[in-house]
Amino acid sequence: MIASVPLDFAGLADALRRVTVEITDGDASRGSGVLWPRGFVVTNAHVARRSRLTVRPIDGDHLDACVVARDRDADLALLRVAGVDLPTAMIAETPARVGALVVAVGHPFGLSGALTAGIVHAIGPIARNGAPWIHADVRLAPGNSGGPLADVSGAIVGINAMVGGGLALALPISRVLDFVRSAGVAWP
Amino acid sequence: MDALLAISNELAGAVEHAARSVVEVNARRRFGSTGVHWRPGLIVTADHTVEVDEDITVTTPDGRTLAATVAGRDAAIDVAVLRVDAGDLPVAEITGEPARVGHIVLAVGRGPRASWGLVSAIGDGRRRRPETADWLSLDLTLYPGFSGGPLIDARGRVVGMTTSGAARHFQIAIPSGAADRTVEELMRRGRIPRPHLGVGTQTVRLSETLRERLRTDQRSAVIIVDVQPDSPAAAAGLMVGDVIVALGGARITEPGDLRAVLRPQQVGETVTLSVARGGEPREIPVTIGERARRA
Repeated sequence: MIASVPLDFAGLADALRRVTVEITDGDASRGSGVLWPRGFVVTNAHVARRSRLTVRPIDGDHLDACVVARDRDADLALLRVAGVDLPTAMIAETPARVGALVVAVGHPFGLSGALTAGIVHAIGPIARNGAPWIHADVRLAPGNSGGPLADVSGAIVGINAMVGGGLALALPISRVLDFVRSAGVAWP
Repeated sequence: MDALLAISNELAGAVEHAARSVVEVNARRRFGSTGVHWRPGLIVTADHTVEVDEDITVTTPDGRTLAATVAGRDAAIDVAVLRVDAGDLPVAEITGEPARVGHIVLAVGRGPRASWGLVSAIGDGRRRRPETADWLSLDLTLYPGFSGGPLIDARGRVVGMTTSGAARHFQIAIPSGAADRTVEELMRRGRIPRPHLGVGTQTVRLSETLRERLRTDQRSAVIIVDVQPDSPAAAAGLMVGDVIVALGGARITEPGDLRAVLRPQQVGETVTLSVARGGEPREIPVTIGERARRA
């Protein structure tokens, strides 16, 4: 039954690219971000170092954005783009499972909307007694920071933040939601 | 994306299913390795990760620590069997169905942690040994601590035991069938016997005349250049100059073939050697011996 249905990684990539932006600071590409409802953009704190940046949706123009909240410890930042109607990412309703397929979209090495796929390797802390992270065996590069780690329905399960031991390390979406909520922004 | 989602759920389900029987093995200094609850009360792990003989423990998925003792081990096959009081720890679902090149497989480590990829080749590609002929070469990453863990299929059934062979960038799995036979032998004899014939040989080309007389199309065989005294070969009356063409029906075209066709289970059994002596074919029965071990 499974074999008769096309495995549409391309369609999945397209859907994710539409909700992933490139974050730039002047001419320099800093990383990626995920489109949130009402013109908000979620990314890593280490991507959004200045208070004013530009974001560029796939096939779109550079848009001015300002940082409305930043948490260096959580490595998360919330940006806002004013006055444009942008699509919004889907959020996974269940936590990631070890062994599940995941994909990441980002802007590594100046590539726009590059896709990489793998599985969830583990869910666990990266330091003793720390908060859990998603460890995934997808191949990330610096420009992926702040971009989405999604399940194969296209729903975001985490925000890619680091690479360690050959694995992608993503902040689980529950932690991202907590951060956004603490900044006074409700989902959706 | 429904098909992708179905596969994704299957893979996650497979890991969840297999992880119930996966334990952490604490038998070396740096960090633990992985083990599989293979048979009731028996944990299979990679021999090279068992660096101590005493004070071994295993940690179950629900966090219990159990004392373990070495029930048997074999360095050449890289399998160690540990005995534990397993209680209600589920036994792994093991399949003897051989994995095929191209199959999607997952390696599971304690935690659980998972890594996925393909069976890339059959055989370990390094040495020609009977023990490794059906080992699986894997196109996946065995992360630190994965050795000794299960290689599972997309249904969560154990198709092998993974090992990095104590070497980096070396990803193999001992297929379930071979691992199971090893467990069986270790439980029966406490060791894996190495079959022994007791001849030194060299490759020899078979002339067309000889091929016709032997009714074979093989181009080469091995000629005996040495018969060790008191060996199974000497007992069978093999002589220097005899040309071994086949052993138990399997072709012998080079010295490595002799080692490759002999199996541990054949120790003590009588097999037929097809030999050419003075150009004439002969069938010589020989009882396979066991190679003496270094102390």
